[in-house]
Parts: sequence; C-alpha cells; structure tokens
Amino acid sequence: MADPRLTIAKRELSSLSREKTIVLILVLQLFVAAFSSFLVVGLVSLYDPGQTASYEVDVAIAGDATDELVAAANEVTGVDPHVYPDEATATSAFERPTQTGIDAVLVGESRDGRVYVSAAVPDSNVQTTVVVVQLREVLQHLERAEREDRSAWLETRPVDVPPETSSSPYYGFTYTVLVPLLCFLPVFISGSLTVDALSEERERGTLELLRVAPVSLREIVDGKLLAAVVLAPAQAALWMTLLSLDGTRIANPVSVVVLVGALSLLVCSLAATVALVSPERRTAQFLYSVGVLFVFGGTTLVPNNPVNTVARLAIGSTDATAAFVVAAYAVVGVGVYVALRSLVGDVDANAL
Amino acid sequence: MSRSLSDHLRVVRRIARWEVGRSAGTIDRRTAAFALVALLLAGGVASTGALAGGVALDRDIYRVGVSPESPYYDAIASSPALDARPPTVDRADVDLYVGDGYIVADDSQKSRAALAELNDAVRRYNTGAMLAEENRTAAFPVVVSLEYVQRGASIPAGATTGASAESSSGTAGESESGRTGSAGSDDGDAAGPTPDSSRSAGDGSDDGDAADRDDDSLSVPTLGGINPFGSESTGSPADISPPFPFASLVLAFAFLVPMNFVVQAYGGTMLNERINRRGELLLVAPVSPGDIVAGKTLPYLTALVGLTAVVAVAVGGGVVSVAAVLPIGLVFLGATFVGAMFARSFKELTFLTVAISVFLTSYTFVPAIFTQVTPIALISPLTLVVRDLSGAGVSLGEFLFSTGPFFLCAVVLFALGSGVYREEDMFTQRSVPLKFLDALDAHVSRPRDVALVSLLSIPFVFVAELLAIAVLFVLPVELTVPVLLLLVALVEEAAKSLHVFAAFEKGRFARTTRTALLLGALSGLGFFVGEKFTAVAQVVGLPELTLGQAALGPSGVGIGVFSAAGLLLAPLALHVVTAGISAVGAARGRRWYALSFLVAVAVHTAYNLTVVSVLG
Repeated sequence: MADPRLTIAKRELSSLSREKTIVLILVLQLFVAAFSSFLVVGLVSLYDPGQTASYEVDVAIAGDATDELVAAANEVTGVDPHVYPDEATATSAFERPTQTGIDAVLVGESRDGRVYVSAAVPDSNVQTTVVVVQLREVLQHLERAEREDRSAWLETRPVDVPPETSSSPYYGFTYTVLVPLLCFLPVFISGSLTVDALSEERERGTLELLRVAPVSLREIVDGKLLAAVVLAPAQAALWMTLLSLDGTRIANPVSVVVLVGALSLLVCSLAATVALVSPERRTAQFLYSVGVLFVFGGTTLVPNNPVNTVARLAIGSTDATAAFVVAAYAVVGVGVYVALRSLVGDVDANAL
Repeated sequence: MSRSLSDHLRVVRRIARWEVGRSAGTIDRRTAAFALVALLLAGGVASTGALAGGVALDRDIYRVGVSPESPYYDAIASSPALDARPPTVDRADVDLYVGDGYIVADDSQKSRAALAELNDAVRRYNTGAMLAEENRTAAFPVVVSLEYVQRGASIPAGATTGASAESSSGTAGESESGRTGSAGSDDGDAAGPTPDSSRSAGDGSDDGDAADRDDDSLSVPTLGGINPFGSESTGSPADISPPFPFASLVLAFAFLVPMNFVVQAYGGTMLNERINRRGELLLVAPVSPGDIVAGKTLPYLTALVGLTAVVAVAVGGGVVSVAAVLPIGLVFLGATFVGAMFARSFKELTFLTVAISVFLTSYTFVPAIFTQVTPIALISPLTLVVRDLSGAGVSLGEFLFSTGPFFLCAVVLFALGSGVYREEDMFTQRSVPLKFLDALDAHVSRPRDVALVSLLSIPFVFVAELLAIAVLFVLPVELTVPVLLLLVALVEEAAKSLHVFAAFEKGRFARTTRTALLLGALSGLGFFVGEKFTAVAQVVGLPELTLGQAALGPSGVGIGVFSAAGLLLAPLALHVVTAGISAVGAARGRRWYALSFLVAVAVHTAYNLTVVSVLG
C-alpha cells in the first residue's frame, strides 16, 4: 500500500483541481502582477518622462535670469523654453493653455548673489507630476552651472555627475518587486490553503472519520502540508520560466526555487499550527493573515530579508553569503516543521 | 404569515445580537494571546529592521568595483542599491567599474541600470556635501519657490447639459494630448480659487503670506491632506519632490484593506451555516430567510461603517467620504454573501473572496486616477472621496451617479443570495456556475418575473459598460468604438437571456416556441424600462464623450434627435427581438442556447453600429 501521506496529498491536490481553485489562483496572480506592472510602469514613466519622450513640457521663461534658465532648459530633453518679456505676459500665457500650450512658468531674478526662481505649475494630478519632474531637472542643471561659477568659495568641489544613460526604469522593478511578488504570493496562498484544509476537516467533523482509517493525525497533517508546500515552488518555477520566455533572465533559478520551498515549508507549518490551536476557521484565517501581513512586512526592514534575497539571486548580484542565507531559511523552515510535529503529537486528536 | 415591520426588526435585532455573541465567544483567551504574540513578533522584527536601516528592497542589487580612494566611493557606499566591491575584483563579477577618472559599463541592461543608479547616488551625495558648506550662497545658488495653480476646473462643477459642441470636442481632444485645459474657465464660476489670488507681481518668493510655507524643504506631502497640491513652498532644486499622483491608490488600500478582514469573517460565518446543516435549525424557526440574512449581516455592516469612519477621520475626510465608501462596502458584503452561498468549501470561498477583493480594488482605484481629467472617473466612488478631501464640491447628481449603481448592485446581490438561502440549495454541493443558475431561477416563478429580473440586471450591465468605457478610454477612438459596441451587446444579451435559460433548464416553463417568444418579449420589455434609468449618466456629462455616446447612444440616452415616436421605440423593438432569439434557443437546450445567443449578439452589434454611424 502506498504511503498514506502521499494519498492524502494527492486527494488534496485533486480537490483543488476539481473545484478549479488552482485556475483561479493562477489567474489572480497574473492579474496582480499585471496590475502592479501597469501601475509601476505608469508611475516610473511619470517620474522619468524622458522615457516616454513624446510629451514636451512648454515652459514660459521671464525675469532677468532668463538666459541662464534658457541654457539650463536646453540641456534637458523634453523641455521647450519660450521667452516672454516680463512675468505678467508669461503668466497670462500660462493661464490660456489652450491657445499658448504653456505648461509652466519660470521667473528668475538675480539678487544677493543668488538666483531666485519662482515656478508655477498647473494643479492637475498626473500632468503636475510630469511637469514638476521636468522642471526639477532644469533647475538642477541651473544649480550645477551656478555652483560651478561660485566654486572658488566652496571648500569641497561637487563630484562630477556620471553620464546620463537610457536605462529602462522597468528593469529594477522587475527584479526587486515583480519576481519577489510572483515568488511569495504562492507561498501565502499555500499557507491559506493549509489553514482551510485542516479547519475544514475539523468543522465538517470528517477528521474523525479520517482517524478511523489506519492513519495517525501526524500523517494527516503531513499529507495536507505536503500538498500545500510543493505547490508554491512549483508555481514559482512556472512564473520564472514564463519570465525568461518573456526575456527576463533569472540568474539563479535553482536557488530561488529552493528558497521559495524553504519559506513555503515555514509558512505552511505555521499555518497548520494556527489551524490546530485556534478554535474555529474564522479565527485561524484571521490570525494567519494578520501574522503573515505583519511579520512578512516587518522582515522587509531587515538585511537579507526574503524579498531582497530573491531579488539579488534573480538579478545575479550575489556574494559568498547567498548560499548561507538560503541554507539558513531552510533550517528555520525545517525547525518550524519539527516544532509542528511535536505539537501534533501533543494535541488530543479526539478533542478536535 | 404577514407580520408587522416591528416584528421583523425585533427578529433581525435578536439574530444580530446572537451573531455578535457567538463571534465574540470564539475569540477566547488563547486566541487573544496568539494575536498578541503575532503582534509582538511583528513589532520586534520591525524594530530590529528599523535599527538596521529602513526598507530597502533593492539593497545591493548592483555591484560596483571601486577603490576607497575614488571620489565616487562615498557616494556609492551611501547608496543602498549599489554594492561597493574592491577594485581588485574580476571585471566580469561587477556591473560597473569606477577607475581613476573613468567609468566602465558594458552594454547590458543591468549595467545601464547600475549607471543610472550611480548618477542618482552622486546627485544625492553632492547635495549632502553642499549642506556642510559654510558659504550658503555659493553652495545653494538657486532658490526655488514652487506654486501649484488651478487653471480652472477641468470638470465643470454643475450639470453640463448646456455645454456646446465646442466643449465636447475639447474633451475628446484632451484624451489624446493628456492636457487638462478647459474651455469653461472664462466664466470664473469654477470651483477652485482664481489663479491670481496668491500671486503678487514681480516677487513670488519673499511674501510671507502663504500659510503652508516651509523654508527647509520643498517636499510636497504625499498624503498630508490627500490634496498634495494645496501649498506653495521654497527650497533648493534638489528639495523638489514631485507630487504622488495616485493618492487614490493609497485611499483604495486605506479603505479596502481593513474591509477585507471584516468580509473574511462575514464569508466564514455565512458558509458555516451551510456546513453540517447547521443553518437548518435557524431555517425551521419562525423567521424568514431575509430576516436571518439581515440579522447576520447587520453586525458586519456596522463594523464596516465604523472602520470606514475611522479611516475617513484619519485621512481627513468628512461625511461625504463615508457616504461614498459605504456602497463599496455593501457590494463587498453582498458579493461575499453570494460567494459563501455558492462555494463548496472554505478553500473555494477564500479564493472567491480574494477575487472579489481584487476586482473591487481595481474597479474603484483605476478610474479615480483620472479624477481631474475626465468625468469617467466618477464611476468610482473613490473619486468622490478624492474630491471631498481636496475641497472640491460634489453635486448631488454626481453622488447619485457614482454610488447609485453600487447601491443597486448590493441590493440585487443580496436578493440573489437570499433566493438560495433555503434548504434545497444551502446543503447541496454544486459547481459555482450551476449554483448561479439556481439562484437566478429562484427568482423566476411566473413569466412576468422574467421582466423583473431583466430590469434588476441593469445596475450590473451599467457597471460592466462603464468599466469597459474606462478600460478602453486610453485607446484611439476608431478602434475602441466597434469593440465597445460588441462588448455592450454581449453584456446586455447575457443579462436578458441567462435567467430565461436557467428557468428553462429547471423545467419552470413548457419548452415551446410560443412560451419562449413570450418570455423573450417580457425580458426585452423589462430591460428596456430599466435602461431608461441609465439616463442618470447625463447628469455628469458622460454622453459628451465619444465612447459614452457609443455605449449609451443606441439605447436612446442623451440623444436629442430621437423625437419621432418610432425611433423612440426602436430600442424596445431591438431588445424584444434579440431576447426572443436567445429565448427560443434557450428552450431547446444548452447548445441551441449558445448558438442563438451568438446570433442575438450579432444582431445587437449590427443595430448599435448602425445607430452610432447614423448619429455620428
């Protein structure tokens, strides 16, 4: 006869596929990933309008520092300076955007050895951000040029800024957010599945029937845990395959899958513990989701946290400690699992 | 058995009290202790992390070979994303190499990303170094004062029915250029302050009258009062931090994440009734299923309102904010209730809840980004919250347009769920789509019910069509109009025929062509009547958008040219004909239904295209 743990795990997985839950899970993950990409790509292109390049910011410039401002504006791609004789005409041009196309006003005055610039930008959500980002770029160029003129009075010279490059802002996001998201969502879902699988048997009273069969409570918990734990690394592997087909190279796929497996064991064991000690499924789910939300959110502050570790493994910027970190997570995962087993031994199965 | 209203209220109150007592009972000392442990653990993790230096998801993702003597070394060491390696390292093991007066980057994406990061790091480092300088004038030679000016509201405050063709073409043009200039600003009646109010000629930086002046930093608070644009401030160029444009995202999460916990518990308690026939005891008591559902929902609704009020106070919102978020909460509860009635297991319920939550979050969040750009934003009640927080007024018409569909959806969802709150449905295991058909059938017992269900489907149809408009809004008009017309036809035909199909499948009516035609006609009539209510869209000027015209025009909404009685009745004829087609198919079984449904959609799309091209 086959190992009862395998039988239970197989039954769990088949119930997932029968209810089409697994399809819903994958679709949801895809949706969350697409949604966050949409958001971040939108955000990033806003904060870095040079990327989209199609949007020109037309700036009305006036005041006695006009020449310096125009010179700085010409340095920045996507900014089109228009010189006006005085502030009043510039402002009135700004207030008739449909006719003049002016998006912002810069009025520069030289006084007391400084340049005082007053900027006016339109107050309208998305456009404001684009305009402000571009203006900042212009003003930083101006600041650098003015500093250069006054460098005799400075003790330290500013370090030369390295050359600008056309790097995709999406690149960093893919590795620091998207890949970790796709790796850890399955882990949280597996934990939630463990809670549901165990508390459902309890609430329906079917755990009693299962215990009449020649299996121990430990084997039941093991079987359910097995099904949930293996799902997460399998999904992580699937997402990474899809990402590499899409042109995103994952540097250390094996280490990432091992890490996801270790965390999956850790989270699912904790979930099983919560399900066994809580009186009811509602309480268990609540404790589990609060715990995961806070503890996992908290770890992002710590060096070598799971998110950062996956990001560094995937992007290929690891050092000698990487293998050690992955091993450490595996040890913690196994430790929690061992603790769970001893807890199951102590639980009075008939009281459940 | 007819009972008075007070009897009903008494029963509802008793069940609500019982529900609260039972839920409180499950939170025993042990659970509380565990929650405390989880919180302490999280606090401990977070505080050790905070000591270690804050959130940095991108810590050390780019490796840079650099010697400690290099002028760039300090800048690199201070950037979390850059990992300084000794210059002796193999060049293949680093993404950037900083030598004496040169920087080596290869052509890989990673290398370029690392270089961009180095560029940012050096700028930050320079600003930091300048802060230590004695000579402030030389270190910060440029002083900027930034002012956010309202150039006339882009959404006119009142009803826009009086707006001429000029205004509607202006709106269509805006969608291409991303501009928000508006033609209506000359009237001076727009909501915001006039542009000149805070501007003194010649000198914008030294007048000390601006209330929110902060000389140290120019950072616009991302969420201080949600309206990040209210203030004016002064500082060096490096201090400018662009406003976060997605205040609505933060709002969506601030309001919806706490809701998730309430809804999770609510779904659990509803599904609990269905496990081991527990709910049967309550069903045999002399109370109606409606009372049971109302009583069990009441505590959770109260919790939701309480949470919403707390969040609203925290972000600085008023009564309007709470009133705008309430319908979202109601739909959330309603959808979860239906989910709990359909789900076969806790696992299925968990994922139905997550799916509902994800959908609601995106539906409320995405349109609200465009709060100041287009009236489409008003399909999300969160837009009302954004406007409430930024001090812009919300008219009654806008409020009804925004929240009305949500309220109606919630009512219909609860009606749908309550329909299957009976023994034969609660304690059987069927797949979700079949349960859905059962739930529809539960409301159809006489032919005229068919018309009523069609009418009740209107809020969902409306929401689906608005969502389609919002999604297609960004694409060019030539492409979106046909796609939109097809989607509209699909949604409307489904709404008109699904319950007819369900009723036939359940053997509710004789499967004859005559019955089918009668049911189809009734369904079309009900839908036609309900559709007239979508005229509320006119209040906010949605029909002036090209897409709005495409979606709503064929039903006769907002189109003045339909003066002849024959044309007025054209939509009625359409709905009756197409509903008849699909009903005849539905009477013959599933395959025929699928086929006739496609025919009906094709007829509907053709009609829509004709109407739009004739009008256009």
